[in-house]
Amino acid sequence: MLERPDAGALVAAARQTVLDALLPHLPREKHYEARMVANALAIAGRAMGAPQPAQDAAALARAIRAAPPLPGTAEYARVHAALLALTRARAAVSAPKAIA
Amino acid sequence: MDDAALGARVIARRLLSGGAIQQNWLYEVETNGAREEWVVRTDNAATLAVSRSRPEEFALLRAAWAAGVPVPEPLFQGVHQGKPFFAMRRLHGETNAVALCKAVGPAGDAALLRQCGAALRRIHAIAPPRADLPFLGEPPADAALAFVAQMQARLDDAGTPRPVLEWGLAALRRHAPPPVPAVLVHNDFRNGNLMVEDGRLVGVLDWEFPAWGDPHQDIGWICAPCWRFTNQQLEAGGLGRREDLLAGYGPGLDESRIPFWVLAATVRWAVIAADQGARFLSGTEWTLELALTAHLLPALEWQVLQQVEMLDA
Repeated sequence: MLERPDAGALVAAARQTVLDALLPHLPREKHYEARMVANALAIAGRAMGAPQPAQDAAALARAIRAAPPLPGTAEYARVHAALLALTRARAAVSAPKAIA
Repeated sequence: MDDAALGARVIARRLLSGGAIQQNWLYEVETNGAREEWVVRTDNAATLAVSRSRPEEFALLRAAWAAGVPVPEPLFQGVHQGKPFFAMRRLHGETNAVALCKAVGPAGDAALLRQCGAALRRIHAIAPPRADLPFLGEPPADAALAFVAQMQARLDDAGTPRPVLEWGLAALRRHAPPPVPAVLVHNDFRNGNLMVEDGRLVGVLDWEFPAWGDPHQDIGWICAPCWRFTNQQLEAGGLGRREDLLAGYGPGLDESRIPFWVLAATVRWAVIAADQGARFLSGTEWTLELALTAHLLPALEWQVLQQVEMLDA
C-alpha cells in the first residue's frame, strides 16, 4: 500500500496553501502566476481518477474530415452525440464551469 | 537602447510587458527640448510564425493612423543589435480585459461600443491594392473558404486529432457566405487589445495579425463568447451590446453573415490554443501559461458544438 494521503489530497492541500497562505502575501504583479498555479493544481486534481473518454477522438476526426455527416441524417445525430459526450468528459476535467 | 539608436536623450526606461511574442519598453526621452514618452516595441526570443514582423506592424500602424483609427501615433522604426523595433507615442488608459468588464458594469457601455464600431469602420476603409502594405499579399477571392483551408492546415500541423474542430470546419464549409470585396481586417479586435480612458476608446492595439478579408470577420471575433470574461451577457466583447457596435459601424454590414464568423472566431481561438499547447508539449516553450491555454480547448469545443447547432438549425 502506498502512503496516504494520496495524490488527490496532496494536490488539493497544495492548491489551498497557494490560495490561502501565499497569495495574500505576494505583490500584485505575481497574483496572476499564483492563480495559474492554483488553476493547474485544480485541473490536475480533477484529472486524477477521471475516466478516459470512451470515444476514439482520432477515428472521429478522420471520419468527419473524410465525409462530414449532413444535418438531418441519422449519422449526423450519432456523431453529434459522440462529440457531446467526448467534450463533456474533457471539459469536466479542464473547465467544469463551461458545461455547468 | 541608447540615445543614438533612438535619436533622443533617454531619461528613463522600463519594461512594460513582455508578451510571448514582443517586448514593450516605455522610454522617457528628451527631444528638441521637450520631454516625451515613447513605447518601443521589439521582438522577444519566441516569435510566432503567423504574426506580423515589427516593420510590417509599423506599416499597418501608419496606415491605421492615416485612416483616423484611434491608435498610438507611429513615430519611427529602426534596427538595434540585429532586432527590428519601432517607436510610438505612449497612450494612457486601461487595457486589462477584466478591469474593463468591471468598469462598464453589467449593462455595458453603449457609447464605448459605438466608438468601437466606428473604429472598425475606419480600419475596414483600408482596402487593396495598397503599395505600402505589400506583405499582405493578394486578397483572397473567398475569405471564408480561405479561412477554413488555413485553419485545417494549422490543425494538421498541431498534430492532435480534434474531432470537434473538424465538426466546426465542416459546418463552416456548409455555411460559407458568398464572398464580399476584401478589406483590411484587424484580426484581434477584442477586449484586451482596446485601450480605454474614461469610457473613451483611445487606442486599438496589437497590429500583429491583420490581413485582407471579410469585414464581418472582425465583428464575429469581438462578438465570440470567448472574450466576454466576467460579462457573459454582453455579446460584444463583454463590453456592450452588439446592436450598439453595429450602430457605431453604420451601414454596409450584413448581420446574417455574423453567426458564421462567430463560429469561425471560436474555431480560430481553439486552433491558436492548440498551437500554444503543442509548443508546451514539444518542450520549445515550457511555461505554465501555455500549458493552461491547452486546457481552454474543451470549453471552446463546447462552444463550437453549440454554435454549429445554431447554424445547422
